[in-house]
Amino acid sequence: MSLAWFLQNLLNGLSIGSVYAVFALGYTLVFSILGIINFAHGAVFTLGAYLTYVLAVGQFGLNGMLAGVTLPFKLPFVLALLAGAFLSGLAGLAVERLAFRPLRKRGADALLALVSSLGVALILVNLIQYLFGAEIYSFPPDVFGSLPAAMIFKIGDKIVAVRSVQVILFGVSMLLLLALVWFIHFTKQGKALQATAENPDTASLLGIGVDTFIMGTFFISGILGGLSGTLIGVSFGLAGPYFGVAYGLKALAVIVLGGLGSIPGAVVGGLVIGLAEAFLPPDMSSYKEAVAYVLLFVILLVRPQGLLGKNAEQKV
Amino acid sequence: MEDFISRYGFLFVTIIQQALLGLSLYFPLMAGQLSLASIGFYALGGYVAAIMGTHPALAPLRETLGFFIFPLEWLVAGLISILLGLGLGFPALRLRGIYLALATIAFVQVFGVLVLNMPIAGGAVGIFGIPQAFESRLAYIWFFGPLLVLTLLFLKRLEATGTGRLFFSIREDELAARAMGVNVTWRKVQAFVIGCALAGVVGAMSAPFLNTWNTRQGTFDAGVACLAYVLIGGARSKWGALLGAALLVSLPELLRPLKDSRMILNGLVLVLACVYMPQGIVGLFSRRKS
Repeated sequence: MSLAWFLQNLLNGLSIGSVYAVFALGYTLVFSILGIINFAHGAVFTLGAYLTYVLAVGQFGLNGMLAGVTLPFKLPFVLALLAGAFLSGLAGLAVERLAFRPLRKRGADALLALVSSLGVALILVNLIQYLFGAEIYSFPPDVFGSLPAAMIFKIGDKIVAVRSVQVILFGVSMLLLLALVWFIHFTKQGKALQATAENPDTASLLGIGVDTFIMGTFFISGILGGLSGTLIGVSFGLAGPYFGVAYGLKALAVIVLGGLGSIPGAVVGGLVIGLAEAFLPPDMSSYKEAVAYVLLFVILLVRPQGLLGKNAEQKV
Repeated sequence: MEDFISRYGFLFVTIIQQALLGLSLYFPLMAGQLSLASIGFYALGGYVAAIMGTHPALAPLRETLGFFIFPLEWLVAGLISILLGLGLGFPALRLRGIYLALATIAFVQVFGVLVLNMPIAGGAVGIFGIPQAFESRLAYIWFFGPLLVLTLLFLKRLEATGTGRLFFSIREDELAARAMGVNVTWRKVQAFVIGCALAGVVGAMSAPFLNTWNTRQGTFDAGVACLAYVLIGGARSKWGALLGAALLVSLPELLRPLKDSRMILNGLVLVLACVYMPQGIVGLFSRRKS
């Protein structure tokens, strides 16, 4: 229980928590517009990580359909990250086009959108497996160029290791969050987005192209998903085509904890869960995966609207 | 014929087994509650049967009972599921809609982690070498078949009596039902617990059927698959789960010649079914209600 131990866990918790937050924001944005949880978000997360990996390394892995195919170029990591994020945004658009729009146009039950988005997730995940194979990849250690792997600080006789990856995770996540908040609150498009979230019918009467905005939301959501996938991938490796599923479920816990549809809530929820996992006593580490869900359960029983959520009144 | 049975017998029994799991989700859906909790109870029932079938301390009991150990396993799994279902149901069913679904997903996830840390459940390896009830896989139809018939008969009675109608009234309009004096919370818990008990018994039957039981049984994905049976089959009919399971369980088998791309097509079928059959397969047979 030394200061060094505390600082180390704080750092670990904040860096992973900030990525949870970015990932969870992708869910929250779509939820605030459509009132539906997009279960294909975890697949987009995986896809983003794989695409960035391919662009940064210049080859398609070892045993999928594309094994042995090499790209004629290798992008520097920053460019690969941006390109991967852009492509994930397009994947987000594809998800909307396949799973959500046809149902919306028919006025189908919201439950069906859950299954159709899971169907799209199944397509994406298996496509990844088909193309890239099922083994684990990790980014080469030199993706960040000449940055040191970690900086070691001494506090008394204890050490605190600050990994470069962690700093980048935290920095990039915070930049994204700030950019998003700025976009939503200070641009015309952001205001229109808020209007659409508030009441799609009224928004469309006021001349806001609701379809366009829903597409925009899915595009941004896809970018957030793909970026967070890449960040996790850089930090922990790409653990097979299904690695987004567990994070996808965990991010659900994040958004409920913060309050469904609340942007600051997603950030707070992500940081709380990241810190809770980091500060779990070492002898309970085998229960780490349950932390997020136990918190989710507790918050639902105590405050169903989440930490920062608004209380929804029942319409009669 | 022999060849056909040996090839497709296992698939046929699996369809019945999965349809039963779909029905365990259908019960809470009758009262308008989307819950994935029953898949956790399926895992629980399987562990109960696996432990009762293999634990050395229970060897004398198995000697005495012989084949009757199996019904006892179902009974114990069912009872434990009812108790746990009541304990989980009362707090969880205060939640509505998506919140309830998320809470039940959380339950399934937590249950998985807890089991992983329990020595008696065999950790990550699980429990294997569970004694078989029958020589062949196909014979398990004598377990699952009657249970399916019983469940469907039970549903038929339920729909025709007050309790079932109370469930439907909550599904159609919870506020109105409450205003009419329906004890909404209790009815929701009732529907939920019936589903949990069914899933627990199916799990207890499935452990010998599958021969091993581990944390890969009763995961979130499996829960989603069961939900898909009900929704693709038809969420407003007791036949939905059976029709949906028949389609979605046999689909990967039918697509087997396509090898790697079959799961991609499986996903595509899910999406297309949602778009073009919003009433489910059942909806194709029933007259369109305007």
